[in-house]
Amino acid sequence: MITASMTAARRPSDLRRIQARTGYLFVLPTSVLYLTFVLAPVILTVILSFAYYDPMLGSRWVGFENFQRFFTDRRSLEILWNTLRFTCFAVTFNVSIGLILALALNRAMPGWLLYFFRLAFFLPVIIAAAFVSIVWSYFFGDDLGVINYFLRVLGLPAVRWLTDASTAMTSIVIMDVWKNTGFFMIIFIAALQGVPKSIMEAAVMDGTPAWRQFFRITLPYISPVVFFCIVYASIGALQVYESIVILTQGGPGDATRSLSILIVEQGFGSFQIGYAAAISVVMTVIILVITAIQQALSRKWVQR
Amino acid sequence: MNTAMQTQAARRWLDYTIIAVIAVLAIGMLLPFLWLFSVSFKPVSEAYKLPPTFWPTSLDFSNYAAVLASRVPFLQIYGNSLLIAVVVTVGQLVTCTLAAFAFARLEFRGRDTLFVILLIGLMFPAQVTILPIYLGYAQVGLINQPIGLGLMYLTSSFGVFLMRQFMLSQPKALEEAALMDGAGYLKIFWRISLPQLRPALSALGIITFTQTWNYYFQARVLLGRETSMTLPVAMDVLRGYLGSGSLSLVMAAMSMSILPVVLLFLVAQKFVIEGITMSGIKN
Repeated sequence: MITASMTAARRPSDLRRIQARTGYLFVLPTSVLYLTFVLAPVILTVILSFAYYDPMLGSRWVGFENFQRFFTDRRSLEILWNTLRFTCFAVTFNVSIGLILALALNRAMPGWLLYFFRLAFFLPVIIAAAFVSIVWSYFFGDDLGVINYFLRVLGLPAVRWLTDASTAMTSIVIMDVWKNTGFFMIIFIAALQGVPKSIMEAAVMDGTPAWRQFFRITLPYISPVVFFCIVYASIGALQVYESIVILTQGGPGDATRSLSILIVEQGFGSFQIGYAAAISVVMTVIILVITAIQQALSRKWVQR
Repeated sequence: MNTAMQTQAARRWLDYTIIAVIAVLAIGMLLPFLWLFSVSFKPVSEAYKLPPTFWPTSLDFSNYAAVLASRVPFLQIYGNSLLIAVVVTVGQLVTCTLAAFAFARLEFRGRDTLFVILLIGLMFPAQVTILPIYLGYAQVGLINQPIGLGLMYLTSSFGVFLMRQFMLSQPKALEEAALMDGAGYLKIFWRISLPQLRPALSALGIITFTQTWNYYFQARVLLGRETSMTLPVAMDVLRGYLGSGSLSLVMAAMSMSILPVVLLFLVAQKFVIEGITMSGIKN
């Protein structure tokens, strides 16, 4: 039908009309799906966060009660703190180690070697966190654990990786960095290839020390990518769920419990739908704030 | 001259040292996978034995057979995962390329606003959409239906964004010539744009398939019944059923579960990496 009407199209005004009609038609499936599964649910979640929801006995508005409960409850605050702490460490190490690896790989080497390196560092990225967490739970075991075996062989004391409240979060960060740093490495490798060779060569000729080349030339040049990586990593880390569920179930105690676990626990365990909605709104607001800060900072930096 | 040669030699040695260090790290990165495969071939009684091994000593597939014969409906769960991943991948390839073509090539009112609204979607985590979707699904009977998880992801802001980036980097000349010849937009999209976008389609296809294969949070909430589960969620259950003393079986199930993604990546590493850098750098 469209094709038929288009072959006849010759006049510019006709063409413009057909173009617009085709445009709307082409974005229609995506728009409808996006409205149904993203926009509407987000709006409904915000509405739910101000309500006590109970389809059987009746729902009612509670104003900011759900948020008040979240920000005054010791347990939920501890869980918020856990999530922020995890995010802070995971982002720092994922991005900085990814950058270091990219700098190390940004040199001439045979193609097969590069293929192998990319494979090795990127494979953990593409395998489900749920799968690799199960493998790591055996690596982190106390007596039968693979890591503790090697520590004992080296004459070092065994570590209670997951069963000690003071080390459990560190263990989860270690696994997270193993899993995700390769993603940032790949992005940084591409970014480094965009740094003009002529500037680098001039710096080498001038005898500029390597660390200075990095901070004066490379880092400013790739700073937009660094910002992107920090935000991307933060958005991912704030949602941390399955690695913790599988490695520690949020324990010992609440030592590693994250916001996502609390949302599932409250929303689908205790059917405190309104409260769970409020927690997910808090999480989303944190993400929006981080993104806004990044936008502002990168505009300032990039223009300088 | 002499010092220049010396620094050059020193630099080369530095290069070698760095590559050697990276090589050791790379092997370290692979250890969990090597351990997993090695354990999956071990007799059940030896699975926990130390020292750990990182290379299969025999290629005995009896653990694999035992997983299939166990009371966990592994094949059905595998089928659920495949169904959802294929439906979502095909769906996104269609919806995202259509929308991307409109955003990259066609002029219509509200286009840029719509695109920005779509991009905002990149910032909403699944956590903030899952409650209403769960309540809605409960109304229409889509809880514990694998296809319900698929429906949620038939389009994605990321996919539209990625395809638009690829389309914008393509020359317009051919399309304009076809338009002059009186070809319709659907024909231009299908005959000219899409064939040029094969690498981009592979990238989006592989990334989407992998991502969908790996969903856990959403799957755990929506697909609670054993027969409707997907592999990442089921693996945890499987561990409960078979775990005590049967580590080998869990790892055999795991090897089968990661196989499609590993194969895809081995074959198409280039496309995946291209797609990811495209989305990361141009953002």
